[in-house]
Amino acid sequence: MRKTIHSASNGIALKLKFLAKEKEVVRRKLVITADALRISRKTLEKKVLERTKDLEKVRAKDEAILASIGEGLVATDKNGRILLVNKACERLLGWKEGETQGKLLSKVIPMSDSTGKTIPALERLITKTLKDRSTTTTTTTMYYKRKDGTSFPVALTVAPIFIGKDLIGAVKVFRDITKEKEIEKARSEFMSIASHQLRTPLTAIRWVLSSLKRENLTEDQAKLVKTAHETSMNMASTIRRMLMISHLEEDGMEPELEQVVLQRELEKISRLHDAHRQRNGLELALQCPQDLMVRTDKQLLIEILDNLLSNALKYTPRGGKVRMSVTKEKESIRIDVADTGYGIPQEEQKRIPEKFFRASNVASPVEAGTGIGLYMVYNIVRLIGGTISFVSQENKGTTFTLLFPS
Amino acid sequence: MSKHVLIAEDDTALADLMAKVLSKYNIRVTITYNGKEAVEALEKEVPDLLLLDILMPVLDGHGVMRFIREKSLECPVIVLSNLSDKETRDKCKEMQAQNYFVKNDLDDDDLWPAIEGYLR
Repeated sequence: MRKTIHSASNGIALKLKFLAKEKEVVRRKLVITADALRISRKTLEKKVLERTKDLEKVRAKDEAILASIGEGLVATDKNGRILLVNKACERLLGWKEGETQGKLLSKVIPMSDSTGKTIPALERLITKTLKDRSTTTTTTTMYYKRKDGTSFPVALTVAPIFIGKDLIGAVKVFRDITKEKEIEKARSEFMSIASHQLRTPLTAIRWVLSSLKRENLTEDQAKLVKTAHETSMNMASTIRRMLMISHLEEDGMEPELEQVVLQRELEKISRLHDAHRQRNGLELALQCPQDLMVRTDKQLLIEILDNLLSNALKYTPRGGKVRMSVTKEKESIRIDVADTGYGIPQEEQKRIPEKFFRASNVASPVEAGTGIGLYMVYNIVRLIGGTISFVSQENKGTTFTLLFPS
Repeated sequence: MSKHVLIAEDDTALADLMAKVLSKYNIRVTITYNGKEAVEALEKEVPDLLLLDILMPVLDGHGVMRFIREKSLECPVIVLSNLSDKETRDKCKEMQAQNYFVKNDLDDDDLWPAIEGYLR
């Protein structure tokens, strides 16, 4: 019995000893593992730290780039809430750092046109960009309001932001164009003064010639005087155009509505081109309902039609036909100016309203031309609340269609 | 008796030129170079026609028309101006200017018949 107990206790002792050994082994292993863990944690920490530093460097670089952009930059989400603005944006608009975060762009930066009318959020470029998913740029001068309520003119471009195929927002870059506007204004004023100075002596020349036309002249003399008068009238038109463009670009033009007898103006305009037209053997047909009156800006309408007719006659080769026809539609007046001329090459058609643009196929047959006429026409049409469009086929002809409220 | 035209035009070259053209038609012409001179001429003699510029020193064309109205002078007025804005044109119409010609407009050929119309 004792022996049994003894051997049993021996067994336990052995077991204990074994266990203690095992424990020691485990402990050692644990120590080793812990050490290993500690080391790898340290390495990991170090790596994370390094990576973070790297990331921070990249971020700092990005931020430095963003901050250094002279142009204001605003990024918004799909709903027009501000995600990010750069330093220049805050500086230009007078906001403090972080103040604009998460706010609606239209609330933070109210935009107005040259008349001071605030542009509703729905009509802003950013809304258009998010809707069309394409980059848009301002074509007319817009004004941004600073935090303190003062405004300044801006030029801006808005582009959509995509991650993969998902539209996540828009980014807008804008520039304070106060200086440009000042230079533009000075240039405009110069143009305006120069035109006025040219006008007075020209008036004298024109009046002498127009009174001479009424004298008893020989056929040859009459022809010469007529041509000289026409040339001086063309020069007057050019000067008038110069003046009008400088007014248009100053944004200072308001249409003045009055009753206009269309047929009378049409005849007057066509008379101006008679000599040129006859010289080039071109036929001109005028169609206008008699006594049709419209309420519009007479000078501006004359400018549009004079330009369209002059282009049609200029860009139609000898023997061609030009037609100017007026139709009264429900709530608008439609005027078509159609020619059988050179036409506008398909691939160049979208460039038509650009300033100084001239189609490539007319440069050689018709050297005289500045590419300013249609630029002006498109701007004036907008001013009188109308629309203009055209269809054109090369060597077949062009038809411009003007629609404006009656 | 020959007809009498009064010209009020501050651009001396233009005024002299108009006078020369008109005087060929057996028309007596008085030239004035500003509104005040024109008013003084009107006080002396009412012409058969007044050719009136608007932008003139001392007294402008509106001032001259005001004088004509105040004195109830019977004198047709043709305005010849560089100004083409509707406000000016309306103001002249209100003052009973018979014709309004914008110097830079397209209606040269209408100018002389209009002038002749008052001198028959």
